[in-house]
Amino acid sequence: MKKTKLGEFEELVLLAVAALQQEAYGVEIKRELESRLKEKLSVGSIQSALKRMEEKGFLTSEFGEATQKRGGKRKRIYATTSYAHKVLKEMKDIRAGLWEAMPVLAHELKLI
Amino acid sequence: MKKTKLGEFEELVLLAVAALQQEAYGVEIKRELETRLKEKLSVGSIQSALKRMEEKGFLTSEFGEATQKRGGKRKRIYYTTSYARKVLEEMKEIRAGLWESIPSLAHELRMI
Amino acid sequence: MSGYADIHPPEWPLKFLRFFLNPKYLEEIEGDLEEIFQENIERYSPGKARRLYAYETLKLIRPNLLKKFMQPANFNHYPMYKNYIKIAWRNLLKKKAYSFINISGLGLGIASCFLIFLFVQHELSYDNYHENGERIYRITHGSRSTGDAAKDAKANPFWVWGNAPVGPALKDYFPEIDKIVQFSGRSDILLTHGDKTYQEDGVFFMDSTAFDVFNWKFITGDARTALAAPYSIVLTQSAAKKYFGDEEAYGKILKGSESSGRSAAGDYVVTGVIEDIPNNSHFHFNVLISLNTFRKSRPEIFENWGYVDFYTYFLGNEQFNERSFQQKIPDFITKNIGDSDSKYTIALESLKDVYLRTNAHRQPGETGSLSNIYIFSIIGLFILIIAMINFMNLSTARSMERAKEVGIRKSIGAAQGSLVLQFLGESILIVFLAMLLAAGVVVVALPFMSGLTGKEFTLTPLLTWQAPLLAFALIIIIGILAGFYPAFVLSGFKPVAVLKGIMHNSGGGGYLRRALVVFQFSLSIALITGTIIVYTQMDHLQNRDLGFDKEQMLIVDYNYDEIVNYYSESLKNTLEASQAISSVAFSRSVPGSYFPNAGTTIENADGEMKMMVQPIFQVGIDFVNHFNLELVAGRSYSRLYPSDSTSALVLNEAAAKQYGYTNPADIVGKKFDQWGRKGEVIGVVKDFNYISLHRNIEPLTLPFDPYSSRYMSVKINPENMDKTIKEVNEVWSKLVPHRPFLYSFLDNDFNQQYKSDLMFKQLFTVFACLAIFIACLGLLGLATYTAELRTKEIGIRKVLGADMRTIILLLSSDFIKLVLIAIIIAIPVSWYVMKEWLAGFAYRMEMQAWIFVVAGLIAVLIAGFTISFQSIKSAVMNPVSSLRNE
Repeated sequence: MKKTKLGEFEELVLLAVAALQQEAYGVEIKRELESRLKEKLSVGSIQSALKRMEEKGFLTSEFGEATQKRGGKRKRIYATTSYAHKVLKEMKDIRAGLWEAMPVLAHELKLI
Repeated sequence: MKKTKLGEFEELVLLAVAALQQEAYGVEIKRELETRLKEKLSVGSIQSALKRMEEKGFLTSEFGEATQKRGGKRKRIYYTTSYARKVLEEMKEIRAGLWESIPSLAHELRMI
Repeated sequence: MSGYADIHPPEWPLKFLRFFLNPKYLEEIEGDLEEIFQENIERYSPGKARRLYAYETLKLIRPNLLKKFMQPANFNHYPMYKNYIKIAWRNLLKKKAYSFINISGLGLGIASCFLIFLFVQHELSYDNYHENGERIYRITHGSRSTGDAAKDAKANPFWVWGNAPVGPALKDYFPEIDKIVQFSGRSDILLTHGDKTYQEDGVFFMDSTAFDVFNWKFITGDARTALAAPYSIVLTQSAAKKYFGDEEAYGKILKGSESSGRSAAGDYVVTGVIEDIPNNSHFHFNVLISLNTFRKSRPEIFENWGYVDFYTYFLGNEQFNERSFQQKIPDFITKNIGDSDSKYTIALESLKDVYLRTNAHRQPGETGSLSNIYIFSIIGLFILIIAMINFMNLSTARSMERAKEVGIRKSIGAAQGSLVLQFLGESILIVFLAMLLAAGVVVVALPFMSGLTGKEFTLTPLLTWQAPLLAFALIIIIGILAGFYPAFVLSGFKPVAVLKGIMHNSGGGGYLRRALVVFQFSLSIALITGTIIVYTQMDHLQNRDLGFDKEQMLIVDYNYDEIVNYYSESLKNTLEASQAISSVAFSRSVPGSYFPNAGTTIENADGEMKMMVQPIFQVGIDFVNHFNLELVAGRSYSRLYPSDSTSALVLNEAAAKQYGYTNPADIVGKKFDQWGRKGEVIGVVKDFNYISLHRNIEPLTLPFDPYSSRYMSVKINPENMDKTIKEVNEVWSKLVPHRPFLYSFLDNDFNQQYKSDLMFKQLFTVFACLAIFIACLGLLGLATYTAELRTKEIGIRKVLGADMRTIILLLSSDFIKLVLIAIIIAIPVSWYVMKEWLAGFAYRMEMQAWIFVVAGLIAVLIAGFTISFQSIKSAVMNPVSSLRNE
């Protein structure tokens, strides 16, 4: 965590990049997250998060192929770094720990 | 998500409140999170997160008993609302979905 | 997937994107947007896809995606500046409403300024594409009355249009004249190529020297010889395309009809094709015919100092000196005219003055108005000032909120200078964002602006190498001007007082704020008044009783066609037989159209035969009845008097006065001599406005000459107009099938004269509304702020029993008071300015008190409406929530 910490949105973007593998470029990430979050996202917000995380060392990127659909522009494919995996894993574990610590019965009761 | 969205730190605080049940008051929440995150947190950051989430409707609170340890001041015990739990579940599922779709083989390979 | 090659994303967001985005990210993000766009096209309409594209582009404005505009100069301070920028950005995001008001207000203000700048640039750019423009002059013709040229021109406006022999005479007399170019008045001709026949309205008979003087670029043909031989014709590119399509026009033949009074019908050889005349030319044409064509048909005119049909321009050589030229004019006139009775003289006009600074009448094309340029420049400045005042007011008003930040910064050692810098930096950031918005608005608004004014605007004046520098300088200057006061107020706070919480709303700032609001609203009210006056005046112009019937008057222009004139009686009889047509008349001129002038000798009140010059409408027998002109003395032409066709004359009241008769009845029966015809004056008609209401009614004679007619006017009944027009067309095609049926309506034609006034009205309204809108934005912001400040007070008042009305009154009364003061300031100013504008019309509306009352009411209403949003919101707020804190 600390200085290097991930915002909740950044974390989602990072997860999406990890999930999409070779297909992890701007539009595809946007599409993936939109379908999962069931809400519209702007190109700006995705791009801004990608750039930020690249600076922080969570992501690396390189140019992919150009397609006619993109007006001859090349894609930039993102890949997660092992550091990112570590941080993601850490956050997952912390949350999982907290979830486990929730007394199930009381929880259930309170839901009623 | 949207307007009501939770920051990553808020989410952790919320989870801690849910986990701590009757014990969910400021200092205890801080203690819980510090051990799990392995880092020092300020009272201010916890309190501001609690107040913010109370305004957003994720938490409710009431006064608990006063102890001598607290100089006769009463504790304020926080409870998660069912809305909060719904949002938490949602976020958990979205993340879980993304985690599941990360191809584990490639993942493992890259971890090396 | 098949369609993606044909539909492209819109251009301007892309340009905008390239301008602000970090170039490193450009390819990737552009690609992303393109992909989404293609996807959206399949899902939605292209329009929606484009809108979504633009929207996405706007949402790309994020600090870490922007170009690195502000690289820190000194690395040591980097974290500090970074913090400043971060704080500035957070402030923007935190107070979205304020940021919106600031940025959109300033953005609109800057955009209006740019648009007005483009308009002014365009007006000032007239004719400056001529390489030798500095040395091109023209001659105006007039009469000497006092000996002082300036006074003469005022008493009796000079004409640009004049005689032919003055050209060669000038060339002989003045060695400093390099080239003379003369051309005829605007002519009409029917041109035919194969099955394509068009009536060309923009035609000049032009000297062969034209291309030595003016820079009109040749595409094909030889500039030196193109207009030398008779029956040579030079087409503009678009005219050539109209007749010949993609074929080569050069060397082809165009069959030309007679052009009345100037040339006989004949076959014209296309000797050149030139580029279309630039939009910023003071006269326009599609077709040029060699002046020698005119000379061949009517050689005698070229020797006649009294025959008016020519414009004379010339190119001076290096030695040319305006002053010495003017001094030699009297000698030149004596040498060439030799008649001491003649008052004829000429004056000089430089090409750079002919569009904006000329008073001469009978221009070859439209002229602009210097006062309009001033008015629009002032409006532009007003709008910018209003937007800047918003910014200043909102920033000072908000200063309290930032007080703690200032206190902390100061107590940990920030110098006042660096705080000033911080706040100036913030205002510069806002101005920068506003500038981006303005750039977008300008690009979007430009086509509308062109549509509104009928002029073609390009961004070229804004897209030079200086532009980025200029924009940068503007951002800094506006940023400093707008941020100056807040920067000093904020940085001047005493840290101890601030941190202790002993801060009162600074009284000085409050007064300044009020003064600025008053100023702002004075400007807005002045603009509202201006708008009302412009509207009323235009209404007045268009609805005034002109003294003749202009409604339901169908005008057919057949350009003096002899065959049509030969059939005029049968046309008239056949048409008048129809139920739907009340009368038909033929004439050479109709109100609002071209008319020549004639020298007429009439026995004046002192019994002498006196020659005077006045406009002339050659008319058919029924003209007076047909247009419902009122006879004040004598009678009109009649079939009962066969001699009317050769020896009778009807004139208007002004003409009777011109010859010294105050009672129009006295001129009836007096002898006249006009254009070789002698006889008696038989009637006087009441003055009617045959020219635009910018000018007074001049003397006019209406001689009876049915065979010089150009127009057929048909008065039709209002019912089933389409059917009637079809009927007229049928009769026309049956009797004179060779002539195209070109019709228009007299009221439309007449109102064409007010085209530039209408443009003025529309531009004025648009910019005035913008100004008022921006001022209201500011007021809304300020009202919101005050209401916030007084939340507690309102809460307490409500708890103590104040009702909603009292609260609304309490919150609104402050601002309404300011608006009232503004009204008092604005009225005399707008009264004075609009009086000047109205002076340009011979017939003007009265500036009545109601105009100012209405303007004031509108201002109060708009302001009240704006404020009430906030007042009502605060008034209905639950006092519990506002008093709960603390």
